[in-house]
Amino acid sequence: MVRTIITTIGSGLGLTLYSTATLADWTVNLTPGVTDVSRSVFDLHMTIFWICVAIALVVFGVMFWSIFHHRKSRGAQAHHFHENTLVEVIWTLIPIVILVAMAIPATATLVDMYDTDEAELDIQITGYQWKWRYDYLDHDLTFFSNLSTPREQISNEADKQEHYLLEVDRHLVLPVDTRIRFLLTSNDVIHSWWVPALAVKKDAIPGFINDAWTVINEPGIYRGQCAELCGKDHGFMPVVVEAVSRAEFQQWLADARAAEQAEAAAAERVWTLDELMQQGEQVYLRACAACHLPNGEGVPGAFPALKGSAITLGDVGAHIDIVLNGKSGTAMQAFRDQLSATELAAVITYERNAWGNSLGEAVSPAQIARLLQPATGEAEQ
Amino acid sequence: MSDQPNFWQTLLSVLSSFFGVQSERNRERDFRHGRPIHYILTGLLMATLFVLGVILLVRWALSLAGI
Repeated sequence: MVRTIITTIGSGLGLTLYSTATLADWTVNLTPGVTDVSRSVFDLHMTIFWICVAIALVVFGVMFWSIFHHRKSRGAQAHHFHENTLVEVIWTLIPIVILVAMAIPATATLVDMYDTDEAELDIQITGYQWKWRYDYLDHDLTFFSNLSTPREQISNEADKQEHYLLEVDRHLVLPVDTRIRFLLTSNDVIHSWWVPALAVKKDAIPGFINDAWTVINEPGIYRGQCAELCGKDHGFMPVVVEAVSRAEFQQWLADARAAEQAEAAAAERVWTLDELMQQGEQVYLRACAACHLPNGEGVPGAFPALKGSAITLGDVGAHIDIVLNGKSGTAMQAFRDQLSATELAAVITYERNAWGNSLGEAVSPAQIARLLQPATGEAEQ
Repeated sequence: MSDQPNFWQTLLSVLSSFFGVQSERNRERDFRHGRPIHYILTGLLMATLFVLGVILLVRWALSLAGI
């Protein structure tokens, strides 16, 4: 333990003597990122860091020298005076000059960061408790991005993977070398969308739209998190950006839309109870288990149990209504836009037949699809 | 009344307070012979000019950036 600490401190001291590039590899430092803006933010950070180092060396150097040179054992006598206007003016002017000198490059970077004009691609990002929704505005594509770290890893029943709590079921796929504008808002409370490698960190506020932009220079996977405390699962709604070439992006868009149509078509066929239960369990663990828990027992006083509850064992219409439209005044969200008809039917079927709830009846995807139709029409107007 | 600080002395004292450094000699003079209302009015005027100055600075910086 002690040896680890010494090694850490030693390597830390060693690294401060290395070049800026080496320092960047040390994960404690800010990332240089993969965009021109993140690079200029990083350079700014390092410039100001070295200014701070220089100030510290000068100030503490003079201080230690004075203490040592005028020590009592040498018979130093304190010089008694009350004020010295000239010295006071000098030590006030120097920080002003330093601050103004730092403000000039900082302002240039900020102006660049806030200039969201002339974007080729618009992505709307909506924060939800506790997931992100991505709308490709000009491409008629919308999906939710949920945490995909298995619950067993979170509760220490399984070994944690490399990207523990930083992996999602659907990545935000973006093309490289393209000016992309993000429009950020929220469905419930304030969230903040943060991807360090892009140097984008912007609050998502209900009722407001904030904007940010990026041009990603290198393909790759960049991970981030919600950066504004937003409730129980604030730490469980990561952001995963996957930057691909422009050609690959077009292919991905076409594939994603085809998959969406296949999903809609699948709602029309007849599903067996087993099929619905199987998919329902997956949907439940992804969308419902955060509050109602994997065993359906909920959290007393906060999130109601579904096991043996009046809703899951009662009238199917009321059950469908609360899942589709949520319950106002509670944390129960409206899932009609978050899940497909098949997923909704599957999860409702699952809730009515799992954990000892055994009604034996299936809710059909086609039935849910009919319920979704009129509201979807209104939402588009 | 000839001991009372003139306008330029009052202005210098107000600017010194903005800056945060004042000599003991000027402080004695201000507190012995000055009238508070002069400093308050000069202070309000200077604060207004400061805010206007910041606004102009921001406009100038933005115009440099082409916005």
